[in-house]
Amino acid sequence: MENSLEIKKLSKKYDNFALENISFNLPKGMIMGFIGENGAGKTTTIKTILNIVQDYTGEIKIFGLDNRQNDKKIKEDIGVVLDDMFFPEILTPLDIDKIMRGIYKNWDSSLFKNYLNEFKLPSKKIIKTLSKGMHKKLEIATALAHHPKLLILDEPTSGLDPVARAEVIEIFQRFIENADCSILFSTHITTDLEHVADYITFIDEGKILLSKTTEELLEQYGIVKCNKDDFQKIDAKDYLKYKKTKYAYEVLVENKKEFTKKYNIKVIDKLTLDELMVLMIKGEE
Amino acid sequence: MLGFIKKDLAMIKSNFKLLGILIIIYTIMGFLGKMDISFILPFMSVMIMISSFSYDNYNNWDAYAITFPDGRKNGVKSKYITTILMVLVVSLITLILSFLISYVTTKSINYGETLVTMLGTIFGTLLVLTIMYPIIYKLGVEKARMAIFLIVFGIVIIGGFLVQYIDLSVITKSLAFLENYLGLILIIITILMVYISYKIALHIVMKKEY
Repeated sequence: MENSLEIKKLSKKYDNFALENISFNLPKGMIMGFIGENGAGKTTTIKTILNIVQDYTGEIKIFGLDNRQNDKKIKEDIGVVLDDMFFPEILTPLDIDKIMRGIYKNWDSSLFKNYLNEFKLPSKKIIKTLSKGMHKKLEIATALAHHPKLLILDEPTSGLDPVARAEVIEIFQRFIENADCSILFSTHITTDLEHVADYITFIDEGKILLSKTTEELLEQYGIVKCNKDDFQKIDAKDYLKYKKTKYAYEVLVENKKEFTKKYNIKVIDKLTLDELMVLMIKGEE
Repeated sequence: MLGFIKKDLAMIKSNFKLLGILIIIYTIMGFLGKMDISFILPFMSVMIMISSFSYDNYNNWDAYAITFPDGRKNGVKSKYITTILMVLVVSLITLILSFLISYVTTKSINYGETLVTMLGTIFGTLLVLTIMYPIIYKLGVEKARMAIFLIVFGIVIIGGFLVQYIDLSVITKSLAFLENYLGLILIIITILMVYISYKIALHIVMKKEY
């Protein structure tokens, strides 16, 4: 399978934080959810992919090309939403259209205006008067309107209400109907991802904890809820993390089927990404 | 790159009113034979452009701009081009007004002197740009303001020292033969210093992380 994005052994050091040996691939035609708690390294990884952050070691390839040597060519085909970026408040969406026409060769004004209509965004109102959710939708419309092949989105649904989130997710799904297009989607609202992401990559403290297909993750992984006696019978190598609650133990297992065979425990709950994140980060080994 | 220029012009368009008011005040004062403030107008256009750096910083625009094709280079190039264009357009307007004021009030126009004065103004204004922009890219607008204050303060101190203790007449006499080429020399020096400043600013931005 051809990859839109390949990251190999990416490392970047700061005084108080480091990305360490980050590696994952995003195949063409897929959506990858990039999850982790705040400060885990999601934004730094995204900024490194986009060359906003430089001086790193490792290799980043986008559309099979080295991202540093082919920066200009690659960026014609990437649409971006950054978490901490805002359009100048005194501009209007129509100004954005005029500006982007002078930035991207493939900028499509009519497509941009279609998105403005679809998102019910007023084209002549200054951005300052738009709500946070409308601002986010404007960023998404801008990221999509030059026919990119890869969307890199840092918290694109933050600030959106559930209805707006559903609208945006639907647009992302439409976007990847073209098999050449892919999305890297960082978020901490993991419920958005369970329905749309083909892959989940989980980062914590600058390290990748796992990168798997969503199906594999949600089908194979599970949470065993048991009492203290049963927990003590479980071999430490058969679970990833556990958490002691008031009445029971919650144990994260990597392979539900093998676990049930070995321990004859029938009740294994299906995992949600939220539970996975909490157990992986807060659970004990 | 055109997109970056459009963005800067759109952001500072509200300041154009201020520039218009200044041009009107200049014209009225000129007709009344009061103080000549023509030098303020091109200088104001640089100050307005410098405010666009503050907007960019506030909106975290620079990081976003890097996600565009050739974003780092085009961002710097467009700031220089937009500023130079604004300075030249405002200077041209001021020059035409100067001719008009001179003709109406004295019935004669001293083309040469007015032109050299305007060239000097453009030189001085772009000198501010050449010093400020690389410092802004390196330190940000706020720290750059302090830096330019220190630089100007340093120049005044050193200049004052030179005037007081060194006989500059030797230098002025030996350079007197250049007087006829003053306009040309100013143009060449201006182009050179803007080019060098642009290269330094670009080097800073190409290495910068946001």
